[in-house]
Amino acid sequence: MRVYIRWLQNMKLKRSNILNYIITLLLATLIVSILVQFVNWFFLEANWNVISQNFPIFFLGLYPKDQYWRPLIWIILIILSLVLRIKKRSNKRVQKISIFLSVLIIPLGIFLLGGGLGLTSIPSREWGGLILTLLLTLCSGVLALPLGIILALGRHSNLYFINRISRLYIEFMRALPLIAVLFFGQLLIPLFLPIGLEINRFLRAVIAFSFFTSAYIAEDVRGGLQSIPPTQIESASALGLSQRQIIQFVLLPQALRTAIPSLTNQAVGLFQNTSLMAILGLMELLGISRSILANPNFIGNYLEVYVFIAIIYWLIGTVIALFARNIEHQLNSFK
Amino acid sequence: MKIKKSLLIQILAFVIILTIISILINNLLINLARSQMTLNFNWLNTTAGFALSEYSLPYTPNDSYAWAILVAWINSLKVILASLFLSTLFGVLAISARLSGNSLLKFLSNFYVAFVRQTPLLLQLLFWYFVAFLSLPESSILPPNLFVQLTNNGIHTLGIKLSAEFSALLIGLSIFTGASIAEVLRGGINSVSRGQWEAYRSLGIKEIQGLCKVIFPQALPAIIPGLTSQYLNLAKNSTLAIAIGYADIYAVSDTTITQTGRAIEGFIILLLSFLLLNLIISNAMNIVNRIVSDKKYKL
Repeated sequence: MRVYIRWLQNMKLKRSNILNYIITLLLATLIVSILVQFVNWFFLEANWNVISQNFPIFFLGLYPKDQYWRPLIWIILIILSLVLRIKKRSNKRVQKISIFLSVLIIPLGIFLLGGGLGLTSIPSREWGGLILTLLLTLCSGVLALPLGIILALGRHSNLYFINRISRLYIEFMRALPLIAVLFFGQLLIPLFLPIGLEINRFLRAVIAFSFFTSAYIAEDVRGGLQSIPPTQIESASALGLSQRQIIQFVLLPQALRTAIPSLTNQAVGLFQNTSLMAILGLMELLGISRSILANPNFIGNYLEVYVFIAIIYWLIGTVIALFARNIEHQLNSFK
Repeated sequence: MKIKKSLLIQILAFVIILTIISILINNLLINLARSQMTLNFNWLNTTAGFALSEYSLPYTPNDSYAWAILVAWINSLKVILASLFLSTLFGVLAISARLSGNSLLKFLSNFYVAFVRQTPLLLQLLFWYFVAFLSLPESSILPPNLFVQLTNNGIHTLGIKLSAEFSALLIGLSIFTGASIAEVLRGGINSVSRGQWEAYRSLGIKEIQGLCKVIFPQALPAIIPGLTSQYLNLAKNSTLAIAIGYADIYAVSDTTITQTGRAIEGFIILLLSFLLLNLIISNAMNIVNRIVSDKKYKL
């Protein structure tokens, strides 16, 4: 109550006109009525059977039921590596484990999901749900980052030919819509491969995503590179550092640190963009939701499903953003 | 010595890239020969055979592929231009709400920007189409004598009929892009130094006038590049129309490629039509940029 009164007084101090009160009152009524309607729908009208009956399918797709423990272990490992990274690390061993885990998380994921070496092998077309979304995001991101850095260095360099080539690639990729890149990735990659070599739908999607995202990452990293004053390069070469050493120890660490906020946006964007594969027939989170909605038992339950997966997307996007902010803080305190 | 070394690196890079490209093209030619296809564009003149859900130029399934693609390109242009205006309006509304000094409006604006940017655009488009429009009744939910009518066939206003697909795409794209535009505007306004605000306030200029005549003109140089890239993003994002069945350039290229199997040619056509769209938008924005950086606004 006291907070409320103080708030009212603040409002009065700021602008004591009547119009402001009327706007506030109208808006408050509008918000309350929308909220009441939403709560009413949420608790009374909504048919949550569509979620409860398909709960594991949203997360794991059509993965065989007796093998559910494999993706679960992978998810636990991801969460573990995130938590270990966030903690202020005092222990050297914990630090080592966290680096080890984050390097191994993708090979482990592919091994745990795909099988082989003693585990029953499960083809990639049976992967699905949130787990596929995560794997797609991680694989594409890990491939796109080095490619983007190389492109950024190329575009930043004085060498005429290398500069032109990187620029051409970046401009070309940024001019195309993602859905077109993904579609032609599915269609054209097999055409450019030698006869006999075939790669599956999932891998083609990863390649298309990383080609696309690398162009955007390149521009972000280039922004970081440009923020470094040229005097630093001059002093580094005056100290006798070689070209490669300048890039490795002077340019890149600073450029990447400056680029972290925009790289975070790219990561969240990539995570959300994996939903486009739903149009191209991959059963990731949105794809599996669309096929659940096509089931005659759950016809018309659009809103329930959309609200549910919107919350999942929102949650994970927020986790990525918070995690990146934490890393940024750690790096800045390191400085 | 140094020049020679850099030349060597470039030649090396050139050779490597050339080899990769020639291997890829060689593979392509082998694969094409195997499926007995050659690259040509003659199929553009043959009958398309598919219907389009909406068209601004006369179109029947008997028309050629080339005509179908042109009609679809105009459909794309239509939805992009309309969302361009609407998204700018949403962005301006959101930023005005933020600057209004009313905490509730500010909260709403923040919530809008944060929520819209944290969920995938495709999901939002599906929501607007399947939940918002298709679940409407056949007769309008608004009073019958109002100038705007909302039905499951779309929006009817002032004698213009907008189909449900077009309306859902328009609203979804505009709301999504509007949030990003609000962020661009915020960045631009933040780039104006604090002193300018204090200056117009101490001169006794009204808040609205100060914003429009003092702050905004100075923020514009920082805003225009960001706005241009948001408009280009909008054009690219409009291709998600395929998910809700609006016949835009990408959806029609997709159908064309599936029917004819001409992936490479279809890709080239799509590329060229996007180049054209991008050129139109960036040239228009260049003209705007030239107008606002005119000396009338310069300090």
